[in-house]
Amino acid sequence: MRIELEDVRHVYAPGTPFEVEALRGVSLAVEADGVLGIVGGTGSGKSTLAQHLNLLLAPTSGRVLVDGADARMLKGGELRRRVGLVFQHPEAALFAPTVEEDVAFAPSRLGLGEEETRRRVRETLELLGASHLAGRAPHALSGGEKRRVAIAGVLAMAPEVLVLDEPTAGLDPATGEDLLGIVRALRDGGTSIVVISHDLDEVAEVADRVCILEGGEVRAAGTPEEVFYAHPEASLAPATVRTASILRDPYPEVGKPVRFEETLAALNGLLEGRG
Amino acid sequence: MTASRSLGQFYPVASPLHGLDARAKILATGMLAVGLFLVDSVAGFLLISAVVVLLVAASRVPPGTFLGFLRPVAFIVALTVLFQVLFSREGETLFDWGLLEVHEGGLAGGLFLALRILLLVSTAGLLTATTAPVALTDGIEDLLSPLKRLRFPAHELAMMTTIALRFIPTLHEEAQKITRAQAARGVDFSQGGPIRRARAMLPVLVPLTVGAFRRADELAEAMESRGYRGGEGRSRYRAPRFRARDAIALAAAALVVVGGVLV
Repeated sequence: MRIELEDVRHVYAPGTPFEVEALRGVSLAVEADGVLGIVGGTGSGKSTLAQHLNLLLAPTSGRVLVDGADARMLKGGELRRRVGLVFQHPEAALFAPTVEEDVAFAPSRLGLGEEETRRRVRETLELLGASHLAGRAPHALSGGEKRRVAIAGVLAMAPEVLVLDEPTAGLDPATGEDLLGIVRALRDGGTSIVVISHDLDEVAEVADRVCILEGGEVRAAGTPEEVFYAHPEASLAPATVRTASILRDPYPEVGKPVRFEETLAALNGLLEGRG
Repeated sequence: MTASRSLGQFYPVASPLHGLDARAKILATGMLAVGLFLVDSVAGFLLISAVVVLLVAASRVPPGTFLGFLRPVAFIVALTVLFQVLFSREGETLFDWGLLEVHEGGLAGGLFLALRILLLVSTAGLLTATTAPVALTDGIEDLLSPLKRLRFPAHELAMMTTIALRFIPTLHEEAQKITRAQAARGVDFSQGGPIRRARAMLPVLVPLTVGAFRRADELAEAMESRGYRGGEGRSRYRAPRFRARDAIALAAAALVVVGGVLV
């Protein structure tokens, strides 16, 4: 499924002294496949935007379209099932006595039958490398384990689009790396993924398309190469792009690498060429 | 993200009432509350009602906010009035339907009682809407501090109240976040009968409670690591000053109460 936001505005607590305009006319598309990275600082409207993708928040003005039709036309839980939204720090919503039951919470309301539900829970936990945790109590797990279980709890609905809000926030680098590996595996399996993050380096590693959000507006959107090399200043580009854009001046053959591996290969090429 | 703050009653605008010292406002509210139970005449109620309406206007808080405060007590008010009207046997009989009799005294008593509760809630609402929670609890601590000699834990009480008030919006926001997270997993909080809806709340209440305990632990540790050891020898960052206008406000409140009782 393809999700489109058309000039979406969102105002919290309108008409009170607490009024905040979090989104000021955002238009963007989440394609039916690939990874869309949405980056922006705190207060840029990222999390508000995420909740518009499954209409947990309704736009104050503007429209959300699913495959060209108004998303409000979809019945009750259908949109929520097809667009899986994993909140920031999703482990805060774990509640069942065991990991297995918590992951089964969403699929068991889809009327799948017990066997199918069990199969989904098993497969999802396996995908996230958390099978060994199935019988444990969620609150007794480590931070990284909880995160995997919480993501599994949404993924078990088999959504067509998976939205991850700051998936690696507060995790150790190794667990964060694992999660990005899972994102790539899901993308290759045909799930469309939205990764929302403040971390440009992380987004550069996984994104096929990038959107930079600033003060509730889209500042730039396109392929990572287009977006990052258009503004290679420190605050808007990952370390790889900043490095390469400095080297490009004397050595244009460096090209425009974005991912770490690409950048490494470009630098190796440069060194060998001068060998 | 900033969520709705329907539960944080403080309404931060600039008004003459917002500028008054919290202690003056607490005492004045107390006097009006006592006064409301002593007033027993139509003229007295008219006087106090007029004063409350004037104060609401002066507070620059939208009147709708006060209606919001009144909504939760509406049911209780209706119930008390009903009992008063039906079971009081004072004065002349107005209606007589066999078992049910409505007397003049009962009707008047019921209306006075309703007015009393509504004015009381409005007055208390004025205090919380125009006074920042911290100023409010500092004021309570100051007013209770003479009792410290009797080992009354005034500081602890004030600190606990401050913390409780401070965390109402936080918990509200947290509850909203968890509710949305579970809604993203397919929970529909709006459908089904009361039992089904109560069951739908379980996935929200469990993590909310766990989170509240964790937060309390963290707060205690953070306070200790910043050297908090109770009220002994603790000074204030913002020392409140009792000015002439606070004295005038108190005197005015006293006048209104005395006037309301005497007329």
